Amino acid sequence: MGNGNGSDILEDNPLIPQLARVQKKITESADTISLRLVRADSRPLGYRPGQFNMLGLPGFKEAPFSFSSLEDYTGTFVHTIRAAGNVVSALCRLRQGDHVTFRGPFGTGWPLDKALGRNLILVAGGIGMAPLRPVVDYVRENRDSFRDVFLLYGAKTTDDLLYRRQLAQWNEEITVLLAADRVRGELPLPVQEGVVTKLLPRVHTALSETISFMCGPQVMIKFAAGALLLDGQSAGDIYVSLERRMECGVAQCGHCQIGAKFVCKDGPVFALADITRFQDTLL
Amino acid sequence: MSTSHSISADNLCRWVDSLAGRFQVLGPVAAKRGQNVFAPIDNSAPLALDYCTTMLGPRFFIYPSVQRLCKIDRETNTYMAADPGPARTQLIFAIHPCDMHAISVLDRTFLGPNKDFYYAKRRQETYTVVLNCSRACDQGFCASMGTGPFLRLTEGFDVVMTALDGEYLLEAGSPRGQELIETAPGLQKTGRMRLYEKSRLEQQAAASFTKSLETEGLPELLMRTFEHPVYKEVADARCLGCSNCVLVCPTCFCYKMVDRVDFEAKIVERSRHWDACQDYWFAEVHDGNFRQPQQARLRQFMTHKLCTWVEQYGCFGCIGCGRCMTWCPTGIDITEMAKEIQRAPTRQLELG
Repeated sequence: MGNGNGSDILEDNPLIPQLARVQKKITESADTISLRLVRADSRPLGYRPGQFNMLGLPGFKEAPFSFSSLEDYTGTFVHTIRAAGNVVSALCRLRQGDHVTFRGPFGTGWPLDKALGRNLILVAGGIGMAPLRPVVDYVRENRDSFRDVFLLYGAKTTDDLLYRRQLAQWNEEITVLLAADRVRGELPLPVQEGVVTKLLPRVHTALSETISFMCGPQVMIKFAAGALLLDGQSAGDIYVSLERRMECGVAQCGHCQIGAKFVCKDGPVFALADITRFQDTLL
Repeated sequence: MSTSHSISADNLCRWVDSLAGRFQVLGPVAAKRGQNVFAPIDNSAPLALDYCTTMLGPRFFIYPSVQRLCKIDRETNTYMAADPGPARTQLIFAIHPCDMHAISVLDRTFLGPNKDFYYAKRRQETYTVVLNCSRACDQGFCASMGTGPFLRLTEGFDVVMTALDGEYLLEAGSPRGQELIETAPGLQKTGRMRLYEKSRLEQQAAASFTKSLETEGLPELLMRTFEHPVYKEVADARCLGCSNCVLVCPTCFCYKMVDRVDFEAKIVERSRHWDACQDYWFAEVHDGNFRQPQQARLRQFMTHKLCTWVEQYGCFGCIGCGRCMTWCPTGIDITEMAKEIQRAPTRQLELG
């Protein structure tokens, strides 16, 4: 058993990566790219918004990345990646036709069913827009299933905002509010100077009938969630996608644990109410 | 459990000798400086059956510190799975009940919904023969954790042995364990009386413990006392962050991935290595380090073992072997920390 090519161990083994090819590489900003990947055998992954893959390159290990596309059952998927760290920088150097390894999809994803028929506030900071992109796509495809939908999106500078070509298009169906610490250059939509939480006063909707999804730096989550809680939203209606170190993706390696939760298996999306009792945050 | 048998000490040795022909037998042997270790043996001569405890639990043989996962050819993008081993079917002889419980705790991580191929194969190809403890060890508190001094498991092991008046009582925990017993020379069927003596011995052994921990309500208490000053006090005064506690803990499962590239950068070997939550970098991401202060890492170790493990797996992550405190260079004792929280759950940090 397990000798030779060890095919019995390669099959259905969540620790053995699969191959995908870079179909298209899109430059999103100075340090961020999107990779449209296609699985070697073109079989669909069957992923949901908010789930993630362990992307890797042999010799560089792997890192977790949320999907930034909506499953279209063609075996393709998109990850938006900001160059930071060893494996990520190597991924950013890939060119069209190159191969990359992936394991996944892992995790639970955004609770879109809870937002059906209600208002939805999306709060994104920097690269935190990437995991929320498929939510925007889903809402636009099923616009009648949701009531008021807001996207509050902030970055360091105007140039760091991702998906710039799509933002105005999104604004036709949902309310897109943008913020940047430093405003420079031109965008089809107005950009408010300052942090993303400064956009919250411009959201006029009944918070008791609202679900919020947020992803971004810890400091953004702290202040955005705090502001929504002060305004009366329930901690059970605020969902955050957490960033934790992950080596396995299948609740074995232990790195992503926060209290009793494995972020890879039980998350990465959590209701704020489920994680506030644990202490190991950056703030 | 099926019928039990007894065997003389001499015949037990002959049994081990014969088992060594069929299996790679791993048993407790005397090592340097009065220590005992689990090591491969060819016959019963080196066995130290009266051993107290070992530094490393036998988890090492089922979940090795380095497990090769696969080889990747970077030029052809092909994968070759690594053989998880073992090269020869192994038999761990005279595991103490706490360590057998520890393996059953590890099973919940690696044989759960995401069944691990490597662990599963090594676990399947490892026979386990347990030896019940007739006396407490210095740092052990297995009686408090429900994992000793006699085995409490009803499955997941092959044979359990109990030393009774110079002979050994053998009971099977699995069909393959029953077959194993039947190969022993000079077997004698035992009656009800022997089992009665066994339970009396168990009571005596349980009464010999000096160390204990009240586990009733402990997970709930620890869950609401994350801010208790004991973590900061002990971390500031004594914790070196050396990870000894994690490396000797028989239930710790954390690992990190390691890619080893050959000289021509053609073949990459991916493996997983034991990792430790006491390591400074353990919870670091690009955004920052989630457990930068030592107190947060110490709290992670202790609350994981005695609190959050219960929510994750329905059992404690501590089997009461006492290794973490024995091998802590500064003697940090998680039972003493737990007792301080139980004594004064609402104590606040004194500002000085």
